[in-house]
Amino acid sequence: MTNASPEPLLALSNINTFYGQAQVHFDLSINVARGHIVCLLGGNASGKSTTMKIILGLVKPRSGEVTFDGASLIGLTTPQIVRRGIASVPEARRLFADMSVRENILMGAFVRNDREAIAQDLDKMLTLFPKLGQRLSQRAGSLSGGEQQMVAMARALMSRPRMIVMDEPTMGLSPLYVDRVLELIRTINQEGVSVFMVEQNASLALEIAHEAYVLQTGKIVLSGSARALKDDPRVRDAYLGGAEAA
Amino acid sequence: MSSWLDYTINGLIVGNVYALVAVGLALIFGVSRLINFAQGSIYLVGAYIGWVAVVQLHTPLPLTIIVVAVAAALVGLIIERFGLRPLQNSVRIAPLLATIGISFVLDQLVMLTFSPNPRALPSQLPDVRFQVGGGTIGPLDLLIAGVGITSALLLFVFLRYSKLGWAVRATAQDRDAAMQMGVDVNRVNQAVFGIAAALGGVSGLLVGMYYNQIDTAMSLQATLKGVVAEVVGGAGNVPGAVIGSLLLGLVESYGVAVFGTSYRNLFAFLLLVVVLVLRPNGLFASARQAPPEPLTGTFIAPSRPVRIPRWALLVAVGVFAVLPLLPVSFYVLQTLINAWLLGMLALSLTLVAGTIGQVSLGHAALLAIGAYTSALLSLTFAVPVGLAIIAGGLMSAALGTALISPSFRLRGHYVSIATLAIGEIVSLVILNWESVTRGPIGISGIPPLSLFGYELISPTSIYWFSFAVMVVLALLQARLLSSHLGRSFRAIRDDDVAARAYGLSLNRYKSLAFIFGGFAAGVSGGIAAHLYSYINHETFNTQQSILALTVVILGGLGNVVGAIVGAVALVGLPEVFRIAAEYRILIYGIVLLLLVRFRPQGLLGTI
Repeated sequence: MTNASPEPLLALSNINTFYGQAQVHFDLSINVARGHIVCLLGGNASGKSTTMKIILGLVKPRSGEVTFDGASLIGLTTPQIVRRGIASVPEARRLFADMSVRENILMGAFVRNDREAIAQDLDKMLTLFPKLGQRLSQRAGSLSGGEQQMVAMARALMSRPRMIVMDEPTMGLSPLYVDRVLELIRTINQEGVSVFMVEQNASLALEIAHEAYVLQTGKIVLSGSARALKDDPRVRDAYLGGAEAA
Repeated sequence: MSSWLDYTINGLIVGNVYALVAVGLALIFGVSRLINFAQGSIYLVGAYIGWVAVVQLHTPLPLTIIVVAVAAALVGLIIERFGLRPLQNSVRIAPLLATIGISFVLDQLVMLTFSPNPRALPSQLPDVRFQVGGGTIGPLDLLIAGVGITSALLLFVFLRYSKLGWAVRATAQDRDAAMQMGVDVNRVNQAVFGIAAALGGVSGLLVGMYYNQIDTAMSLQATLKGVVAEVVGGAGNVPGAVIGSLLLGLVESYGVAVFGTSYRNLFAFLLLVVVLVLRPNGLFASARQAPPEPLTGTFIAPSRPVRIPRWALLVAVGVFAVLPLLPVSFYVLQTLINAWLLGMLALSLTLVAGTIGQVSLGHAALLAIGAYTSALLSLTFAVPVGLAIIAGGLMSAALGTALISPSFRLRGHYVSIATLAIGEIVSLVILNWESVTRGPIGISGIPPLSLFGYELISPTSIYWFSFAVMVVLALLQARLLSSHLGRSFRAIRDDDVAARAYGLSLNRYKSLAFIFGGFAAGVSGGIAAHLYSYINHETFNTQQSILALTVVILGGLGNVVGAIVGAVALVGLPEVFRIAAEYRILIYGIVLLLLVRFRPQGLLGTI
């Protein structure tokens, strides 16, 4: 028995993924420690979103292992994985556009059956996301991008997840909302929810993350604590504006 | 003399019946982006289960309705579980074809169990009529309206307030996101198929009672009407489907009032074509909703075609060419003549559906145009038969392309619906345009085949003639496919957006494909007309269109040799095994289902 490195909540090990003939992941390994925010950085077509899809069971890797809380997720369907305690904020939010904001948030609690606690959680979401209070009966599709992001995050929290995976949560948002979203991710995390997020905007992500991985054309080229990576010249060159910023 | 109010009431009642079918189609389309061509078969099954309940078990009316709803729902669940769920990860065309196969199997099973003769379905309600304003209304009208309104309310409550209903709506809007909320989409599919089938079955029962009669031809009609209503209302839009149905009922009823009963369906399909052309997303869809079809070529299964060496093809052509010289029976020659005629139609369809990706379900209309043109020219104007057949081919090419051209801007499922409707319209025009086509009487005494003044009467000469024509058409088509033009066709099939971005004019290439395909089909129809010596508006029906599609899929979409192999197999094998005629359609349906499930690229592979 050793408690030197406690078992991570989520572990991807040696994942190889293919789309037809094309290989997307090469021996990808990522750990998300309990209670941490872990960020996966990478440019376009580096395989970031596919990593999310693997965790959620939407894409099956050809080889490798995914474990959550020690149990394998390979072979489980997406709904089964969600029931294990992983919620998601998909890329571009993917709200149910023709359903109301209230219905969207409550859809997040689809896997739960405790009506009263769900109602309480809905109230809690409205204190966390006060703006949504006046929008509850509005069509979700009619909200602005930032408001939609709030709905997507509230929706994810409604399942009382142990971990939330987020695909580019700040994409397409105004600077004001970007800060707000990052702040919320931190709040959520402080309440004990682990976060795995995929981001292109490295400087923002490294501000709130504990650890980060850098993915380049399907391979992890760098990893470590967010603080260390922020100062790493290679990350700076690639993502943080490089030489002229320094 | 009925009043306008009567026609309005009749239109609304019939519209209610259509709504029960269309709402089911809309639910299924919403959740799985699939037009369920088996919906009419469930309606048929519902009608016959109702007949068994009423006539043989003497159930009271409320019980009859419950029995039909439950039994039909079971059929729906079985279709979903065993027919469609295994196809979840296959190409988009697979479930569409599977529902066509399932509808053939169900219709034939009903026909084999109950015989094709119509049966009387008593309404179980007193036959009185009340005066309302200037019209009359009976208890059955009220029952149908009541069932329609009750179903709509129940469905509304289900979708709005139940957990499963929420799951259905969420899945319809974003399947992946719904899964990420923990929704089991298989259960949603199940629920939707069950509900759709229950509604469809009850609809069949009510229609049977309304017209006091049921027969197996109801199935296709119901599917067509349901699809029309659904598309008019906007595919996947449940309230839209109800309004589309009522609109369809009224249009038909007023059309019948003005022009007569034989025009009923013509109005339905004209309404469909007009809506498809002007507002392909339905009357009520907001502009942002694009037709939910894939942008890239996932509609048809990609595969590597089986390569057949040239010498083997030459040997095969040689063997079939000298076959009549060998001691074979007339029966074999007769069968092969049918295969060659079907082969020509399949060549046409494999070009249109396979090479350029427009899955036509109304291809028999091209046969009909060619056949009528050739028959009328040779009969009325004494044009030599050989020339008349060529004229038939040209007429099919021109008229067929002109008729289909409004649907060139459609994609995927919508092309299939539009071609199905256009096929029906052609048949209905033939039925109603009596001064030219002789209407329901048909054309008899068509002169036999002849070439340069020599009549081709012996089976041997007809065999050689049809075989030669088919081989020439096949060679032309193979040449076409290996050319620049063929490449452009395939580019459009695989990704029409990309093809357009490279400067290909979709309309021009689709027209070219239909011109060439129309010619081959028209020639086949022309030869058939002179061979049969009698044709009418039902000679070339939807069943032939579907048979041709099965042949094409059996051979491999786009595959020239495959089309001919498929034709020989589907015409020949039932003969070899001496399968009775009434089981053939059943076999075709099963073949289609097995192919879609286990070899969607066909025997020789798509090209």
